Amino acid sequence: MTIGDRAAWLMLLGAAGIPAALVWDFSWESTIGVERFFAPPHSATYLAIALATSGALVLLSDATRTRAAGVRLGPWRAPLGAWLVLWGALAFVTSVLFDRWWQSGYGLAAGIWHPPQILKAIAFFAVTLGVWLCWLPRQARTSGALAFAVSGGIVLALISVVTLPASFANLQHSAFFFQLGCATYPVVLVALATAGRLRFAASTGALAALLLQLALVWILPLVPGAPEVGPIYNPRDHLLPPPFPLLLVLPALALDALLRVFPGRGERSLGLPRALEAGLSFSAIFVLAQWVFAGFLLTASADGWFFAGGGRHWPFFLRIDPSARAAFWHAPADELTLARAALVALLGVLAASAGLLLGAGMKRVRR
Amino acid sequence: MRALCAGALVALLLPLTARAHVGSPNVFFEGRAGTNAVGVVIRPPLTLPGVAQIDVRVADATRVTVQAVFVDALAEAAPAPTPATAVAGDAQLWSAAVWLLRRGSYGVEISVESPRGSGTVAIPLQAAALARPVMPPALGGLLLALGALLVVWATWLVAVASGSRGGALAALAVLGAAVYGGNLRWRTMDQTFSNALYRPLPVQAAVESGAERQLLRLAPVASGAPESTWETLVTDHGKLMHLFLIRENGLDVFAHLHPVRRDGRMFEGVLPPLPAGSYELYAELTHESGSSQTLIAKVALPEPAGAARDALQPGESDGWCRSGVALAASSPEPSALDFDDAWHLGRVSSARESPLMGGGRMVFETAGPLVADREVSLRFSAFARDGEPEVLEPYMGMLGHAVVRRSDGSVFTHLHPVGTVSMAAAELLARRAGSTEPMPTLAPGAAREVVFPYAFPRAGEYRIWVQVRTRASGGVLTGVFDVHVGGV
Repeated sequence: MTIGDRAAWLMLLGAAGIPAALVWDFSWESTIGVERFFAPPHSATYLAIALATSGALVLLSDATRTRAAGVRLGPWRAPLGAWLVLWGALAFVTSVLFDRWWQSGYGLAAGIWHPPQILKAIAFFAVTLGVWLCWLPRQARTSGALAFAVSGGIVLALISVVTLPASFANLQHSAFFFQLGCATYPVVLVALATAGRLRFAASTGALAALLLQLALVWILPLVPGAPEVGPIYNPRDHLLPPPFPLLLVLPALALDALLRVFPGRGERSLGLPRALEAGLSFSAIFVLAQWVFAGFLLTASADGWFFAGGGRHWPFFLRIDPSARAAFWHAPADELTLARAALVALLGVLAASAGLLLGAGMKRVRR
Repeated sequence: MRALCAGALVALLLPLTARAHVGSPNVFFEGRAGTNAVGVVIRPPLTLPGVAQIDVRVADATRVTVQAVFVDALAEAAPAPTPATAVAGDAQLWSAAVWLLRRGSYGVEISVESPRGSGTVAIPLQAAALARPVMPPALGGLLLALGALLVVWATWLVAVASGSRGGALAALAVLGAAVYGGNLRWRTMDQTFSNALYRPLPVQAAVESGAERQLLRLAPVASGAPESTWETLVTDHGKLMHLFLIRENGLDVFAHLHPVRRDGRMFEGVLPPLPAGSYELYAELTHESGSSQTLIAKVALPEPAGAARDALQPGESDGWCRSGVALAASSPEPSALDFDDAWHLGRVSSARESPLMGGGRMVFETAGPLVADREVSLRFSAFARDGEPEVLEPYMGMLGHAVVRRSDGSVFTHLHPVGTVSMAAAELLARRAGSTEPMPTLAPGAAREVVFPYAFPRAGEYRIWVQVRTRASGGVLTGVFDVHVGGV
């Protein structure tokens, strides 16, 4: 294994740590509730970024020293993905500096999705995308194709984390949930299916995201923790399990089948028919799977360590009516009507088109 | 991530409440936790969530804990008590940091264990964002430089990835739009934040002049906010409202009045004979929720009518104090004043000594310079014309009342010997906690000195009005002092 391979594995570890640390942070804040700079999940985030950045620096050093093929900047050379990771690291540092000031001055009183938080999310995506790109030309190496699919899965997991507040099981009959899912996940899944060397690259990526999040659903509730700030509307003595992950594996299997396993006319060209097939397939299966599965998650049968459902697990600070805990929340303007379902499908097709473009672009990137 | 989750269900947040006083957010309390005498200072955070710093002064304590209980939630909704740590170098001082999550009324419960026994006292605290943040220039410059670097770097990356100049230009356009959008979002959020900052509530004040008396009417400015109606108030020192009038330009007239509630949207009170002029109006209320509220207004008073006009004695060189109880015995003046209404005319003659009506004087006994943000006991004594110390009687359950105002009006607070807390809110908290102990009001015995715990929030020039009821006069006497508060 070359030094570059080791660096790429280190970067993969760091990238996997990002969504894991963010979910841990969600659980920590939902259980303990106080914001400390060096709280364990925060430290884990810093460590994850540091690992990915270290790997990128090793790649830069190695490529510069060996004059390997790569993107040049002055005397330095590095793969495009490594440059993107380094950009993400700088964006992360900037966002942390900005966010510390913001939190001390505005707290949450100014609302959420404030500028430093947006910058931080962009930084996380830059790092994970950079790692994904770094594995693109390494797919021929031992386990390289698997690592490429897994690193794509990490991007899927990051999307899940960022959209988590809209993804509670109670919201999984609402149009916005499906619109959000269909506008985002197909980009990564279709790119995986297009640019991955594995026959089931998209499914493997979705499975990796599922397993990563499942591990957190099962492990975090084992850690003791209690709220340190009131009011406590939902008492807790262990960390809150995050919501059960989405069943992206099912539409991913369909995408793999469509784009790789049964390509029909061989290596199909980019175009509307292909985007239509992929986008509509994803949308239909995603909506159907989550519609049915969310119903199950809200039943008493899901109230156990495996699914952590049944409407029983809530952040301590959320004042929520008992009758709303295991029910679907229907905002009148957000019911899945036929027109909104059409928008879901349209977003799925657009996202699949973006995924096809990304996948094609990835295939061209060989450095 | 909590931010994300909170935002998803922001509609579930509780109604907003407000804080009493103007520009003086720290809470001071002198009282008892069981058998232990305690002095407590609470410095609330500037925004929420945030940390409140709590200092407890108590003798011989073996353990002190602090717990912040959100008033609108059940008692079991409070986190476990936080142990306070003894401050090195001061055997009586304990310190703790407690997190506050959201805007609203909290009860800060101080529990003390000592050889004398254990006890708990709950101190009301209104949690709210207090000030708009200002970014230090050095940090702003650093972030600007990092931002510029990120934009250049990202543009280069896109140019490399796309292999075209068009890609770079497109990236630059997208980044420019992103920076513009981010800035716009920041401004919008800052405006939202600024709008939600604690501010005293403006009210409408109007004077109706009759043949023999003037009526002052207060009504809320229509806002739809839950605290803008006055249906659910509790009494503080036996009154639903404490109202202060201070004449602008000289601050030479001061009145402490107690209008009565006519309905849920109006208070009304008879005005004493005050000279004409433009007045600042401050009023204090406590709601059933435990939240206290300061109302502000400006009101122009005309010359008093009828016999009341004759009651004015312009030209008096010393302080001229009257009160409702004194008027009750000499009636051609306005009737229906509250028994505890009191007012004062006259200029300050000294920073240390203030003349009192009847030839007496009040002395500011606190030695040493006053320093901003440093706890101090403001001590005052009253002396009769013959120089003998006056014996102080309860005035609305307290040994005295003081009003502190910074010269620019940015600070206004109403102090009692138990501190800055609303006694009504403190009693509500005690009842919720099931306590049957009466709240501390007046020290037993014949007091000859009144002491107010306080820390001036900022350096500057302050005027202090101190009101006491003396046994000899039977009425309320007001001393007025101008003090200088230095910087730290």
